Amino acid sequence: MANIFPRWSNWLPFKIIFCLLILGGGVSAGVWYYLNPEYMRVGYQPSQPVPFSHKIHAGQLGMDCRYCHSFVETSAYSNIPTTQVCMNCHSQIQRENPKLQPVHDSWKSGKPIEWVQIHKTPEHVYFHHSVHVNRGVSCVSCHGKVNEMDEVYHAESHSMAWCLTCHRNPSEFLRPVSEVTNLDWKPSEGKTQREIGAALVNEWHVNPPVKNCAGCHR
Amino acid sequence: MSKRIFQHPEEPQTGKRYWRSLGQLQDTPEFRQWMHREFPQGASEIDGNDVSRRGFLQFMGASVALAGLSLASCRRPLKNLVPFTKAVEWSVPGKALFFASVMPTRNGGMPLVVTTFDGRPTKIEGNPLHPVNKGTTDVWAQSSVLDLYDPQRSKDVLSLGKKSDFVSFEKDLEEILKTSADGSGVAFLVDGIVSPTRERLRRKVLAKYPKAMWATYEPNGNDLEVAAAAVAFGNGHEVVNRLDQADIVLTVDRDILGVEGDIASVRGFAARRKVDGPKANMNRLYVVENRYTLTGGMSDHRLRLAASRSGAFLKALAAQVAKLSGDQFLATLAAGLKVVDTKIKDKWVEECAADLWAHKGKALVLAGNKQPVAVQALALAVNVSLGALGKTIELKKSAVDASASIAELAEELRKGAVKGLFILGGNPVYNAPADVHWAEAQAKAKTVVHLSIDQNETSAKAHWHVPAAHYLEQWEDCYASDGSYVVGQPVILPLYNGITGNELLAKIAGISADPLTLVRDTFAEVTSASGDYSAVWAKTLKNGFFSNASAKSIEAALRVDAVTKAIGDSPAASLADGQFELVFITDSKVDDGRYANNGWLQELPDPVTKLTWDNAALLSPAAARKLGVDTGDVIRLSMGEKKLEIAALVLPGHADDSISVAVGYGRTEVGSVGKSVGVNVFPFQTTVDRRFLTGVSALKTGRRHALAITQEHGALEGRGADITRQATTQEWSENAENKDFFKKMGIDAHAPANFSLYTHPPLDDVHGWGMAVDLNSCIGCAACMTACQAENNIPIVGKEQVINGREMHWMRTDRYFASEGGDADEPEMVSQPMMCQQCENAPCETVCPVNATVHSEDGLNVMAYNRCIGTRYCANNCPFKVRRFNFFDYNQRSITNLYRWNLISEKGTPDSIQMQKNPNVTVRMRGVMEKCTFCVQRVQEAKIAAKVKSSDSGVQPRVPADSFTSACAQVCPTEAIVFGDIRNPESRIAKLKEDQRGYRLLEYLNTENRVWYLARIRNPNPKMPDAARAGSASKGGHGHGGSHGHTSSQNGGHA
Repeated sequence: MANIFPRWSNWLPFKIIFCLLILGGGVSAGVWYYLNPEYMRVGYQPSQPVPFSHKIHAGQLGMDCRYCHSFVETSAYSNIPTTQVCMNCHSQIQRENPKLQPVHDSWKSGKPIEWVQIHKTPEHVYFHHSVHVNRGVSCVSCHGKVNEMDEVYHAESHSMAWCLTCHRNPSEFLRPVSEVTNLDWKPSEGKTQREIGAALVNEWHVNPPVKNCAGCHR
Repeated sequence: MSKRIFQHPEEPQTGKRYWRSLGQLQDTPEFRQWMHREFPQGASEIDGNDVSRRGFLQFMGASVALAGLSLASCRRPLKNLVPFTKAVEWSVPGKALFFASVMPTRNGGMPLVVTTFDGRPTKIEGNPLHPVNKGTTDVWAQSSVLDLYDPQRSKDVLSLGKKSDFVSFEKDLEEILKTSADGSGVAFLVDGIVSPTRERLRRKVLAKYPKAMWATYEPNGNDLEVAAAAVAFGNGHEVVNRLDQADIVLTVDRDILGVEGDIASVRGFAARRKVDGPKANMNRLYVVENRYTLTGGMSDHRLRLAASRSGAFLKALAAQVAKLSGDQFLATLAAGLKVVDTKIKDKWVEECAADLWAHKGKALVLAGNKQPVAVQALALAVNVSLGALGKTIELKKSAVDASASIAELAEELRKGAVKGLFILGGNPVYNAPADVHWAEAQAKAKTVVHLSIDQNETSAKAHWHVPAAHYLEQWEDCYASDGSYVVGQPVILPLYNGITGNELLAKIAGISADPLTLVRDTFAEVTSASGDYSAVWAKTLKNGFFSNASAKSIEAALRVDAVTKAIGDSPAASLADGQFELVFITDSKVDDGRYANNGWLQELPDPVTKLTWDNAALLSPAAARKLGVDTGDVIRLSMGEKKLEIAALVLPGHADDSISVAVGYGRTEVGSVGKSVGVNVFPFQTTVDRRFLTGVSALKTGRRHALAITQEHGALEGRGADITRQATTQEWSENAENKDFFKKMGIDAHAPANFSLYTHPPLDDVHGWGMAVDLNSCIGCAACMTACQAENNIPIVGKEQVINGREMHWMRTDRYFASEGGDADEPEMVSQPMMCQQCENAPCETVCPVNATVHSEDGLNVMAYNRCIGTRYCANNCPFKVRRFNFFDYNQRSITNLYRWNLISEKGTPDSIQMQKNPNVTVRMRGVMEKCTFCVQRVQEAKIAAKVKSSDSGVQPRVPADSFTSACAQVCPTEAIVFGDIRNPESRIAKLKEDQRGYRLLEYLNTENRVWYLARIRNPNPKMPDAARAGSASKGGHGHGGSHGHTSSQNGGHA
């Protein structure tokens, strides 16, 4: 009786398995790389209704973050400034600049400016700004060098693993509370971030939630 | 070590037993099913599915096509951040703002503090500064925030049912008023709210239109109580009960701790139930009632007696008191009250009267506020004889002028004399007494203007319907029950352009002023402020109230002749053998029907019957046997021409010749939530028979009606005797030195010490959260359940899902009956709030395959919703049955739409309902397990505040003792629930958990709960005939020192 299956078919299952492994591995690698906040979020830079430059305001002019984001030290949210805050200066300065037209329109009509949200935590995550900035976590740790950005983009991944790098090891990131909004702060000569951070963790009894899910998920 | 096999010890079948329902007592198969399976078999099968296979494939295809299209636009969705243009004063995005306000009720205003987020009120708390409620509230105040956002609220001015506007209404209003210069032909019908501004405007209106008629109607109001006080002490006098001053309280058909009292009486009573030792001066409560109420549940002695026999009881009691006091007048009065039957337990009355007399000046007798005036007047006379006046009862001047009754107004209407009728609030077409024939009378008026928050039966029959503002939307004011002036501050602009009754009255009086000015002018008048009173006003707004010195109690003597006459004129209530009386009870949820469209209230189990989404005819087991019915059988009640078919509910402890039905159900013109819920019994109620109707016959129909009763849900393997513990004052004194007296009751008395195979993470936080529940002051009112629902975004699931055991309440109030020998006629009742016990060795955590429920360092058993995959292992392994599973997307779909296939059914929540949600709590989705979190959002907020405060100071961040509390503890009117930091020695919880009465549930399971219950103490009078039955722990089968030994193999020893 002739062989029903030719000889080469002996290897067929192995070839199929091999291909599936390659395919599966490829899909896994793709998902792992692409469907990841580090790929999906970092670099997100939508255009805003007003071409507001943080580089000019926070960088060149040296305005403190808290001039506009005034409630960051008291509230869970770091507020977006009202049109009124823009007009504090721009009723005097750069009044004719066409880029500021939407601001003037908003001020006249009373209709708010609709800024595009860049940093967004999922619904089940409760991030609290004030507890971070009051305990020595700088704006730059999560938002990057905003003072060097013309148009703000998503600088860090904001994934849970990323949060935990600091929650597990805060001494790598903490700085004196007075330097929180100083985005260019560097540890002073002769000291490393780790030394300063470790001292602060100890002195301030810093104990961020690590295993307590309810610290962020409620 | 040998293998350890754990067997739950069997519950003893002798001695005193605790049971949740008659089903448990009789051990029915249905109950066994609830006990063994949390959800009934077959409940998971989709029986409401109407999607055919063909339809499924069609939609499947469509959705795939849509998915293909949308893939092309697979982008991150654009979201906008929209700040204010101009900054709003005080508004900080993400931070709550609190405003003092008031909820107007018929018992006076409930002072509140309203939590708002970004301009939306989300949660209501009591005003902690106000002496009446000290920061606590009740079920109705808690759920009123949902009424505000009801998407089916009245939104438009309606003219003969058609949409109209305010301009045409005002034009017509002028027409009405033009025809009557002196007010003849103009009539007002208002609800029973006591508002100083309304009273002021009323005087203005009546000054302008002196012949106008002003009537008041409040279906469940205390008008008969006021009438009795007027008979006894003269017009304009109101009686204030001081339960905090009373050592001995006797209530006769009065649910003073439930729907027929107010928060002041509840708090006054509870103040005397806070005991720190057996020597504490605890009060004693005698209750005479026809059905179990919350008051009956708290009683030390209870006599079940038909409501129509209350007069006979009081007659016997008054005679006894007269005998003891030698008060000839009282003896005459008692003899004068006409009663037909005298089936009263003599010994009971005798000893009760003796006890009252022995505590002269510290005794209080309360008669039902809907009992006939003569009966209530007799009770007042007994009080006077007991020296209660000025001590346990005080008199105050009535804050409102006398008004006509609805019957008098109907008489006027029938004469055709009324041209313009203004109905401000209320729903008389639905709930006026039957003999008034209101609908017919109302139709005689030329123009009827109805102002109300919803479109109800009365609006449907009115010429004009005007939407009213919710009390959170507009300036109002009230007198609280202590007489202080309370301002109702608006916290949101009217959502649907509603106006207040005050605005309408001002318009009629010709005053053009906005609601704020109206209230401010009243404030100036009430406080006799002159000149610039803005500082006083500002302080009043901030504190929420102004203490009014003029509200002091006044003195008056009993008006002998008037009382004699009233008692002599009163006909005898007769209840012949073989007949039933029908008792109209105020519903603890929908009241007189006004809250029918409030889903929280409809789904809240009644504190006693545990019935949701319905009313039922409550009857005793003996009556049920006589009629041959069981719970769920429809019976026909008839009285002459009137007939009514309603499902029976067998309630232990009910009087045998009595049937009780809650009013307020069976609304017809109502939103989708309240539609076809229950049966309307108002057609049986008349102006004379406000409380009971005798001579009613009942008949079995053979039909059945599904009742959604939660009493058997979450049954804890029938371990009632272990779960709830109580002792009498005497037993406690005998064991005053025994630290383990309450800890070693029931199974814990002889279960061997346990150990855990599992380790829990080190609980090394500086904080440790714990809770204590004092069962001695918990009255079981379920305000905690509603507060929890409002705070934690808990959805409602609808009647069908409640029947399937899928209600979502994170906490429940378990109600147990206790009796010896299976007696279902006269059991005792105990309520017990049950929430997640936050076990340190949590059985739920060890079975979760995905670590979705884990322990935090501060001792909380936390739930990470986004990790949960819905295996429900945790719920199965929870010994307390406190975990809840989202079987459906309750937050996204309406309760009528749950079984529809996801892709074709409407999804989403109405905007207004979304506005109520607490932004600090995740709104859970389908397939996720949830449970009580100890209000972890509040815990975290407090911890964050401590950390922010500490900042870089180097001070260890620590939440100050008792600086915040959980929602259930905050609302608790009796302060029975205490939440706090057990690691802080200064906190209340740290002290309470060391209390001798403190015990933890199922200690023998070694779960190391973080909730401590303080055992219930009963204070029976040893001389009473039923004293031997009163709450006794040691008489329970599992007590200590009992003769029953145990073998280790049975009770968890080594096998």
